[in-house]
Amino acid sequence: MGIEIIQGIISIIIIIGLAPLFAGFINKLKAILTGRIGAPVLLPYYELQKLFKKETIVATDSSFISRFSPLLNFIIMLIASAMLPIGFWKPLISFNGDIILFAYMLGLARFFQILAAMDIGSSFEGMGAAREATFALFAEPIFFFTLGSVAFISGQTSMYEIYHSIRLDNVSYIVFIIICSISAFLLAVTECSRMPIDDPNTHLELTMIHEVMILDNSGLDLYLYQYSGYIKLFIYGILEISFFYPFSAHSYLVGLIIFIFGAIILTFTLAIVETITSRFKMKNIPQYLLFATAIGILNLLIYTFTK
Amino acid sequence: MDRTLTNGNDLLILAFTIQIISLIFPVIIKDERKSIIVFNIALVTGLVLGLISTLFSLLFTSVILPDSIISTLSNNWIRLDGLSLYFLFIIQIIAIPTTLYNISYFQHYINKNMPIKSFMTFYLLIMVSTQLVVIANHAILFLVSWEVMSISAYLAMLFEKEKEEVQKGSFYFLIATHTSVFILYIFFFLLHHESNSWFFNDYHISFSGNLAAILFILSFIGFGIKAGFMPFHFWLPRAHPIAPTVLSAFLSGVIIKTGIYGILRTFLFLKPVPEWCGWLLLVVGIGSAIFGVWYALAQHDIKKLLAYHSVENIGIIGIGIGIGFIGSATKMPVIEVLGFGGALLHTLNHAIFKSLLFIGSGVIYQNLGTRNIELMGGLVHKAKYLTILFLIGSVAICGLPPLNGFISEFIIYNSFFQTAKELKNYYPLSMLLFVVGLAFVGGLAVACFAKINSIMFLGNERKPISHFHTSLFDYLSLVIFATLCIFIGFYPQPFIGIVNKVLNNGFAPLNSTSALINMNWTYLSLIFLSILFGVIILYNVMRRIQKKYGRRTSPAWGCGYSGITPRMQYTASSFADELNSILKVILIYKKKVKISKEPFPKQVTFESHSQDLIDDKIVTPGFNFLKSIIMKIEFLSQTDIRYYILFILIIITIYSIIAFIWV
Repeated sequence: MGIEIIQGIISIIIIIGLAPLFAGFINKLKAILTGRIGAPVLLPYYELQKLFKKETIVATDSSFISRFSPLLNFIIMLIASAMLPIGFWKPLISFNGDIILFAYMLGLARFFQILAAMDIGSSFEGMGAAREATFALFAEPIFFFTLGSVAFISGQTSMYEIYHSIRLDNVSYIVFIIICSISAFLLAVTECSRMPIDDPNTHLELTMIHEVMILDNSGLDLYLYQYSGYIKLFIYGILEISFFYPFSAHSYLVGLIIFIFGAIILTFTLAIVETITSRFKMKNIPQYLLFATAIGILNLLIYTFTK
Repeated sequence: MDRTLTNGNDLLILAFTIQIISLIFPVIIKDERKSIIVFNIALVTGLVLGLISTLFSLLFTSVILPDSIISTLSNNWIRLDGLSLYFLFIIQIIAIPTTLYNISYFQHYINKNMPIKSFMTFYLLIMVSTQLVVIANHAILFLVSWEVMSISAYLAMLFEKEKEEVQKGSFYFLIATHTSVFILYIFFFLLHHESNSWFFNDYHISFSGNLAAILFILSFIGFGIKAGFMPFHFWLPRAHPIAPTVLSAFLSGVIIKTGIYGILRTFLFLKPVPEWCGWLLLVVGIGSAIFGVWYALAQHDIKKLLAYHSVENIGIIGIGIGIGFIGSATKMPVIEVLGFGGALLHTLNHAIFKSLLFIGSGVIYQNLGTRNIELMGGLVHKAKYLTILFLIGSVAICGLPPLNGFISEFIIYNSFFQTAKELKNYYPLSMLLFVVGLAFVGGLAVACFAKINSIMFLGNERKPISHFHTSLFDYLSLVIFATLCIFIGFYPQPFIGIVNKVLNNGFAPLNSTSALINMNWTYLSLIFLSILFGVIILYNVMRRIQKKYGRRTSPAWGCGYSGITPRMQYTASSFADELNSILKVILIYKKKVKISKEPFPKQVTFESHSQDLIDDKIVTPGFNFLKSIIMKIEFLSQTDIRYYILFILIIITIYSIIAFIWV
């Protein structure tokens, strides 16, 4: 019992500590792939450090919502990170039904982020908020189609148990898991506002979703938003990596090595995807998301009938 | 007999007496202001006493004994079993804050020659008859109180009867409620025919022949119209906006729940039901939920929007009941308890947060004189606490943690997982589709409530607000509801206990499972508390840091353009536009843009409309068709009263002949 709690706390520290590094790696790789030298890998840390010391400027017409939302976002990301397994370590928060809590907590964070964007009273943020609300609509269905379908097959409802139920020994099940992970990847791209959906780098408001929502935030507020963004990216990364543990082998060291290895592969994948694709037109995004949803349905149907 | 239980029931009789006596105050006190206050305070006293007695029976008795002193006194016409007590509890807990809100709501209408006193009379009739509906054990008493409840709701709805929309909307309510009661007559007559008794506790029909299937369908349609399931929902968005706010809150919070009560009561008559009943409710439920919330998204009238959200939540309750039916059909008490438990708790939760939202919108309506959210905005600067209270209701209705909506949706999600786990076969696949459907509903609800909260409260004032007044009683009722939302969210155990007790007294076999209680409620409470404390701690840390590095306000960035006006803010239509465009066909979402081609365009117009498919393609044409048939027999409508007497005689003769042959 004691050791599990310590492991859980260590996992949270790993997630919080390494999240900016993960984002930094992706950016560096992307730069290299596009023929640039790129910013240092540790840039996200420097940025956070810089933001921490900046004066906070809030919009005149904003209310307590703008003040409250970054805090809530950060806290929710912290708690969400306490629900994910790293390697074979049991997460700090793990109980039957935590998959539902996980999805709905991210929903709560999103709700307040949309409100905070609308709180500014500017059309820029309004546009971003409306888009976020629209595209996020598909996020939870895709989440349940991927992780939820594994849950239904295994009969488990706790994330740790769900991932542990994955046994890569049956061919049709392996195919099923691979397609699930593709679906989860599409979800991660949407939720973390990465390339085919949203461009994390541009500053042209009309093309952005997530960045435009935090356009008028600065200083400590922006610090919290950025940090939660990094954590969110890492969380979705872990959701993706965890599909591929050979959970039958129970060794903490092996788990950790596979985890690091998986993270590196994921970094490469994200960087490559971001290099070779361009951002979709806004009106095409719902189609992309419906495609991701359809994969989930088809996948489950095929698995059910070939079993 | 348990002595404590008897005491509780004495209190209930006293409560009813006080409630009825409170009617004399509007009659004897001439001054409108005083009579409103005295009447409502007396009514609240009665309701509080009733609530104490109900809570006493629900919380402190180990097993709910339905045959108590009140049933002996009433010759078994009234019986307080678990289900009745639970719904009585919902009615009383909602009625108390709503009645308190009455006091401040009608201050706006004093001395304007409005029928306040007759409204009070009807309001009292609604209160008493709704309570009678759920505790009646006799079919005739049930039907009479059902009819009194519906008709007095109709009459109370006509408070501002000179407005045309009021006449129209309330007429739809009248049609719906009459259709419902007509079907219920047939339902109860069939039940009586089958069992030769008018008493509910004698009805035990085994589900073998066609009769039970017919009974189930009749009850589903009859009670479903009242509850507002999707094909029968047409009266909700028409009647809610035009009713006085107190009534809309009570209508949406409690009266539509009597439909749910009816369906559950039918289940107790017919149990165990076959599986198709469960699937029927599941499919209708998920349909109501998805389309209810989607239609809500396109609305700009706050009360109409909330009415569509009632359809959504009734759908979610229906899903829970459907899972319960499946559990009963497959003899799995675990599934049964989780399904029915989720449905029952969601019934209570929806009653709480929907009343909160309706009353909040009523306060705004009284101040701004409009229900159109496009004309609101920036209310947070004038009414901060109202914003917070409305926000609490919104978070709760979206089913987001850490408030009460999440608790009941969590149970329903768990019931899906449990069904898939216990029943294997094709269940995992179908249950997954329901999980995804419910998640989709959650996403839409988040979008919808993000929309109305931000358009109504945040940003700048679209229409200048001179002053905004929220009275003490407004706050009182809103705070009671909000506290309940928070309490059930953070500490659901007592309510889970109540629901479990109700379910183990009639639904599942006695104490067959403790699946509901054994869920990780403490764990959830701890996580919610850590969110709360995390935010508080981080807030204080942030304030310290900001003290060091500074914090100031400055106008929002406008790309260098400084002539920004409040009209340039994002509107509700533009917020919902992208979402509505995805499902253009089903929503019948139409846009009209008119741009002048001149070099210096003077006027650009944009309008968007969204209609309800079922309403537009089924209900309205259906009514027109009925009208065209009825117009054919218009010649029968004579001015001479003797003709009518003749018609009545003919009808009675026909009825007698039928009755003679049948018996």
